Amino acid sequence: MEVETSDVIVGVMMLIFGLVGLTLASGAADDEMYVFGLSLVGFAAIFGGGLIKRHFDKVEARLRGEHHHV
Amino acid sequence: MSDVVYRKPVQYNDAVVKKFVIATMFWGVVAFLVGVVIASQLAWPSLNLGLSFTNFGRLRPVHTSGAIFAFGGSALFGTSFYIVQRTCRARLFGGEAMANFIFWGYQFFIVMAALSYVMGYSQGQEYAEPEWHLDLWLTVVWVCYGIVFIGTVMMREEPHIYVANWFFMAFILTIAVLHLGNNLAMPVSLFTAKSYNVASGVQNAMIQWWYGHNAVGFFLTAGFLGMMYYFIPKASGRPVYSYRISIVHFWSLVFMYIWAGPHHLHWTALPDWTQTLGMAFSIMLWMPSWGGMINGIMTLSGAWDKLRTDPGLRFSVTAVGFYGMATFEGPVMSIRDVNALSHYTDWGIGHVHSGALGWVAFITFGALYYLIPVLWKREGLYSTKLASWHFWIATLGIVFYITSMWVAGIMQGLMWRAYDAFGFLQYSFSESVNAVHPYYVIRMLGGVLFLSGMLIMVYNMIMTVRSPSTARRAAVPADIAMAGV
Repeated sequence: MEVETSDVIVGVMMLIFGLVGLTLASGAADDEMYVFGLSLVGFAAIFGGGLIKRHFDKVEARLRGEHHHV
Repeated sequence: MSDVVYRKPVQYNDAVVKKFVIATMFWGVVAFLVGVVIASQLAWPSLNLGLSFTNFGRLRPVHTSGAIFAFGGSALFGTSFYIVQRTCRARLFGGEAMANFIFWGYQFFIVMAALSYVMGYSQGQEYAEPEWHLDLWLTVVWVCYGIVFIGTVMMREEPHIYVANWFFMAFILTIAVLHLGNNLAMPVSLFTAKSYNVASGVQNAMIQWWYGHNAVGFFLTAGFLGMMYYFIPKASGRPVYSYRISIVHFWSLVFMYIWAGPHHLHWTALPDWTQTLGMAFSIMLWMPSWGGMINGIMTLSGAWDKLRTDPGLRFSVTAVGFYGMATFEGPVMSIRDVNALSHYTDWGIGHVHSGALGWVAFITFGALYYLIPVLWKREGLYSTKLASWHFWIATLGIVFYITSMWVAGIMQGLMWRAYDAFGFLQYSFSESVNAVHPYYVIRMLGGVLFLSGMLIMVYNMIMTVRSPSTARRAAVPADIAMAGV
């Protein structure tokens, strides 16, 4: 299965952002940092999920012989 | 033997451009709506509702960040991605995932910043209110944006870098430097949304206005000039009036703007020579600004008739007119003696809005009226009549806004400096507040008109995308065409 380099880089970024978000939320000393930390985790999880979904959508499209483009 | 070279068609990434176009319209409505709310609060303070998160102090940065960074920023991201691909004949560098991250990462920044303002968190620096953690997040998104844009320019198939891309690159690089320079701060701890800037006192003020004025110069001017240099020639079907002027415009503008910030600090603790330097460069900015304005308007030479039939182009050309007006007024206000009257008054607010509404919003509307039918592959706009209504309602709104603020501002300035025969101040501050009340109401009505125009555009654009009447007609097959001969 062909994986775009950009997908891997952005995927790793999401992993880092998710961990940073968890760290910030867990140690937050004020409301803003708590909300930001949790939101960052949510962002990273949803975006990461989107990356995985788009990857398999492309694979399925290729198997069906469709030319996939954004 | 034919010397025609076959060039493989490029599949542009228009999906991310579409997302930014939708975000531009969404944030436009939000920013203008919050503007109307806070304008109403200034006229009728009870509308603060007695709640901390709806008071003017917290909603004002929601309005300014919403208009500049959410509405204007989304427009700049979207149009720059559209333009760079076409003028370079190259698909966006960095792949689909990176482009999507830039879109969603930027939207995340906007939402988190707005949320932090209403929760009461701010660095207290104008147009740079987000605290350190949000600044770092924006830095990540901005670096990705720079990599994708400059990467696309480097991957280009066209030998020449079109002037619009020079403006966009200046915008991207300078905003990066300004953002990092102005937000150098030490957090209280990694787990608190509170930091202290490395500079303090007058140094902090000067760095802030070096940033603040160049946010105007490079975010709200250079980036939108990139838009002007692409969409006016495209919509009018004419080449840029003078490509040479556009290059002189670019280099002189980027060289001079960066020095003009100290004019925001006239008559303060900032050393006099620094104030004079800022004033001198602000006045010199007349030349590149007006050179660019003339270049934009004269591009219509031979195509003036299109202003009657193309409301999008009408927006773009009027925007350039407002650009000329605002860049004339700005240097006048930067003269120290004029500034003694205008500073801290609503004249400044009127000046900012002639630029923000007349130039930034109008050039964006012009680009959107051009882009949406093209991106969604429609025959044309759903209704040019509605677009014309938008144009006239919005123009009237701007006129209400800036004239009321001129009158209010000059009146405030004159009242604050008036002395009686005994050398006492003639008016108390509260008398000047009472005096401007009617103009605050007129300003609010101007905002309502501008917002109404925006809502008309949103409806028109939704219908342009959805209505069967705008569907692109298929080409008539050759045999049928022949049968009709």
